[in-house]
Amino acid sequence: MSSEGPNGDDASEGSGVELRSSTSLPLPALVLTGIAGSPGYAIGPTWVVDVAHAGVVHRSISRDGIAVEVQRFERAVQQTVVELREVVNTSSVGGAETSILEAYILMVCDPTLMASVQQRIKSDRRCAEWAVDTVIREMSLTLKQSENRYLAERSHDIEFVGERLLRVLTGKASGITLPEGPTPFILVARDLSPAETLGLTKDRVLALVTEAGTRTSHTAILARALDIPAVMGVGDILSQIQPGETALVDGSHGVVALRPSPTAIATARLREERYRSVASGLRRRRRQPTTTQCGVAVQLKANIEFSGEALTALENGAQGIGLYRTEFLYLDRTDLPSEEEQYQTYARVLESTAPLSVTLRTFDIGADKFPRSLAAPLEPNPALGLRAVRLALERPELFLTQLRALVRATAHGRGRILLPMISAVHEFRGARALLQEAINDVDKQGLPRAPEIPLGMMVEVPSAAILADTFAREAEFLSIGTNDLVQYTLAVDRSNRQLVRLASFFDPSVLQLVANVVRAGERHGRSVAVCGSMASDPLAAILLVGMGLRELSMEASAIGTVKEALGRVTVSEAEAAWVACAVLSEAEAVDTELAQRFAPRMSDLLDREVE
Amino acid sequence: MNTFEATFEIVNNLGLHARAASRLVQLASRFPCEVEVANGEQSANAKSVMGVLLLCGAKGTRVRVIATGEDSERAVSEIGALIASRFGESE
Repeated sequence: MSSEGPNGDDASEGSGVELRSSTSLPLPALVLTGIAGSPGYAIGPTWVVDVAHAGVVHRSISRDGIAVEVQRFERAVQQTVVELREVVNTSSVGGAETSILEAYILMVCDPTLMASVQQRIKSDRRCAEWAVDTVIREMSLTLKQSENRYLAERSHDIEFVGERLLRVLTGKASGITLPEGPTPFILVARDLSPAETLGLTKDRVLALVTEAGTRTSHTAILARALDIPAVMGVGDILSQIQPGETALVDGSHGVVALRPSPTAIATARLREERYRSVASGLRRRRRQPTTTQCGVAVQLKANIEFSGEALTALENGAQGIGLYRTEFLYLDRTDLPSEEEQYQTYARVLESTAPLSVTLRTFDIGADKFPRSLAAPLEPNPALGLRAVRLALERPELFLTQLRALVRATAHGRGRILLPMISAVHEFRGARALLQEAINDVDKQGLPRAPEIPLGMMVEVPSAAILADTFAREAEFLSIGTNDLVQYTLAVDRSNRQLVRLASFFDPSVLQLVANVVRAGERHGRSVAVCGSMASDPLAAILLVGMGLRELSMEASAIGTVKEALGRVTVSEAEAAWVACAVLSEAEAVDTELAQRFAPRMSDLLDREVE
Repeated sequence: MNTFEATFEIVNNLGLHARAASRLVQLASRFPCEVEVANGEQSANAKSVMGVLLLCGAKGTRVRVIATGEDSERAVSEIGALIASRFGESE
């Protein structure tokens, strides 16, 4: 080994692996980005699998040839089923992962598929492979045109079935060929089917990189189940890679580096080591409450979008759901969710989270999230338009349905209701009046509910942050949404990539607004939380604690890191950092100040991407 | 011939994707009667995964299940129960 990592290499990983590029061409390092499919790091030689679409012969057949082609097709179906069955039987992964293979088996011998292919052979006089190819393309196109993105992606399942059939028909070897010998490698392919992925084992495959696929594709799901790091959707990697050369894979961030320098390799090895120890340490400590080094408790909660995420959040150590974005119940469908459906969904979240609390945010529909069930108004500037609580007050019947469902759900756990996008006091009062109406309705029907239902508001519009004192008198709790607060305070469209540098939560103007809200909360005895990406950044989280915040809500996957970071600082250190940062005039200076104070003791938590 | 028919709403988040469709097909195949699933004007043999998949039944879609022949009533009600159970998906 020519370029060892500086802190003693993990012998089980990459022993005997030539770390430098094995080609003689002095090609420069190349960093490609894709989608983070399965977390973890890997460094090692690559093995490129060429599973290019089997060339489909277009051969017209005579009347006499029909029987032969039909028979070839039927045999191919049987053979494909046998092959798939074998993978199912030898797989060590169970449950949902193999049930997709069971579905493929049904699809291969599907009567609709059989009938259509036989039809093509008989009436169009096409050879079996041409007939299969045509039918599969048509079917997959139908699904691709579905308005539902998840279903559209399922066209891959149909294409996979077609590919397996074509392979058998054309006599090309089935499955992928792995290199001989014990050396583990990084598998690079245009695409991998779930069956192929299932055939892989951790001792041979360090990581997967594919040109196709998304985070929700079955290959990514299986890679996570097998604990193999994976990056999907790396466009054009096959044309850039020299087979056999070394690559770095960062499956946590979706980055692949080809021909990395020895320094990059050393850094990545270090990160991999840290990733492993941090991940296992975080897993061990996830049940313990979060405290600063000096023992002050900080509540870390999770932001969720779907009810099923509540359990994952709790497994990650969340001390409740700090932000349940209910609008996702309204999206990706053609009708509106009924009161009953909403009630059932919210009740499930409250039940699975109890005795911890759930902050249910009423729908933030509008701007970039508009359901098909509501006619989207044409607005030149939707972020500043009819959205969230404004839409709710404009459409009280819609809002009351949700409020009644929320009120009823409070009977199942500890719930509180949060209003998004409040910019003026009358909006809060209007919403409170509607909540009272919903409570009266529920009571009149004799349905159960919690005796107290706290009503709070998001502080994400600068007007609300500036008038925090006024709002703290009205709202029982405040939750600062930093993403929108940054966008509205700095007049920066957060989806504009060119302006990304301007959109910093470390901007002093944003920090002053946040601090103003925290002070108002203290004065009026209201709890204040921060949700949004600022809470999930370890350095920013320390700064927030220094300002006086004791409740942060973030995506579940960030909880472990933030918990670890807060455990390494004392409250007085955090407060001193805020005092120092409060007088700075630029976001970058704040970032530097925090990094100087805290980065040395948490470099393992701050690693970002493989460069 | 006794024909039974009922309408059910797809309530699982992922809709009638491959695994859900195959569960439905496996269930329908246990009954001797003919079973059809329809989404609007499009209908499919409930014993064909491809057919069911191509109905593009996203969450919120209302599908009609029509069974004709022996045991048709039970076929419709059991399929309805499977749809309502979210095909056994946790969410």
